[in-house]
Amino acid sequence: MAVAGLRPVALKKDGEDRLVIEWNDGHRSEYLWTHLRSNCPCAGCREERLQPPDPFRVLKPNELVPLKPVSIAPVGYYAYKIVWSDGHDSGLFTLENLRSLCQCPECRQ
Amino acid sequence: MQPHGGPPQKITMPGVRSVIAVASGKGGVGKSTVSTNLALALAALGRRVGLLDADIYGPSIPIMMNVKETFDPNTTQWPLERYGLKLMSMGFWVAPEKAMIWRGPMVHKWLTVFLTQIPWGELDHLIIDLPPGTGDAQLTLTQTAPLSGAVIVTTPQDVSLIDARKGLEMFREVRVPVLGIVENMSYFIGADGNRYEIFRHGGGQKLAKEVNVPFLGEIPIDPKVAECGDNGDPIVHKYPDHPVSKTYLNLAVTVSEQIAKSTNDTAELPTLNL
Repeated sequence: MAVAGLRPVALKKDGEDRLVIEWNDGHRSEYLWTHLRSNCPCAGCREERLQPPDPFRVLKPNELVPLKPVSIAPVGYYAYKIVWSDGHDSGLFTLENLRSLCQCPECRQ
Repeated sequence: MQPHGGPPQKITMPGVRSVIAVASGKGGVGKSTVSTNLALALAALGRRVGLLDADIYGPSIPIMMNVKETFDPNTTQWPLERYGLKLMSMGFWVAPEKAMIWRGPMVHKWLTVFLTQIPWGELDHLIIDLPPGTGDAQLTLTQTAPLSGAVIVTTPQDVSLIDARKGLEMFREVRVPVLGIVENMSYFIGADGNRYEIFRHGGGQKLAKEVNVPFLGEIPIDPKVAECGDNGDPIVHKYPDHPVSKTYLNLAVTVSEQIAKSTNDTAELPTLNL
């Protein structure tokens, strides 16, 4: 649960497919990078998620290679910005949003 | 002097001990007057102070600090200095009659230039006079500038308080500490010595209580303040013993105390190299 004053104390990679965030309340969050990308908070991705799936959509060449994060950097005191291997970089993940997206066993219950 | 493009990067200003944004939701509440006189009051306390005018579209600092000419950005020694303050404003480059018709990315670029390419040197405080609202300039500064906190300026009436609350919430959303609320044009002391509350009174204090931030003080309305601003010699500098100047000196002390308390809230977020 997101609360005011909650902030990460460390970010770590766990293998090639996961991000770990340790918070100042002692919680340890885990995320698949694919989970973060599929919950990208940018306006374009949010709009796309609202549309019904298109069964006839043709994949673009860059969608055929596995998606990877290229960088993750703080934005001000309130968010992180992830740059992805396909060039997408417009999503700002606020700390509250990151906490709510946590996939650790406790938060998934 | 040219801007660089690219995504917002956190700016480091190693010589600047604190960066204070002066903001409001609404225009016309006296942000530039408060910024200028607060900066001068901090300087009067012996601090090294800079004043950055972040209102790209409607800069007020040049007239308030008696800078009537424009300067070549490439050959001038920046920042300018007046009354002991280091100054930067778009109004030093562009004549007052020329309109700046820019979209947000240009505002972002030039504010970044002001922060990164102006040799501010060693400062105790850099005061940033923000434009009204919660738009591009505010986002750029909250995402990139090492802000120590924000001072919210309001006038007493509801129409100003509604917008002050929006400005305040923006700083909370982006986790910039709100140092407190200042009520400007709070009251008027007439020639008869009586106090008149022209725009009502107490709204700033009420809002501060509601949103649980410090109330920093009340600044009276006085024709001398406008006269001094328009003549390019702010009241704290021209009439340091005037009652209004004394309220600014009290404000400077209170703001200093709040900055000292806020330093724990503005630690950098941890990073990760992938």
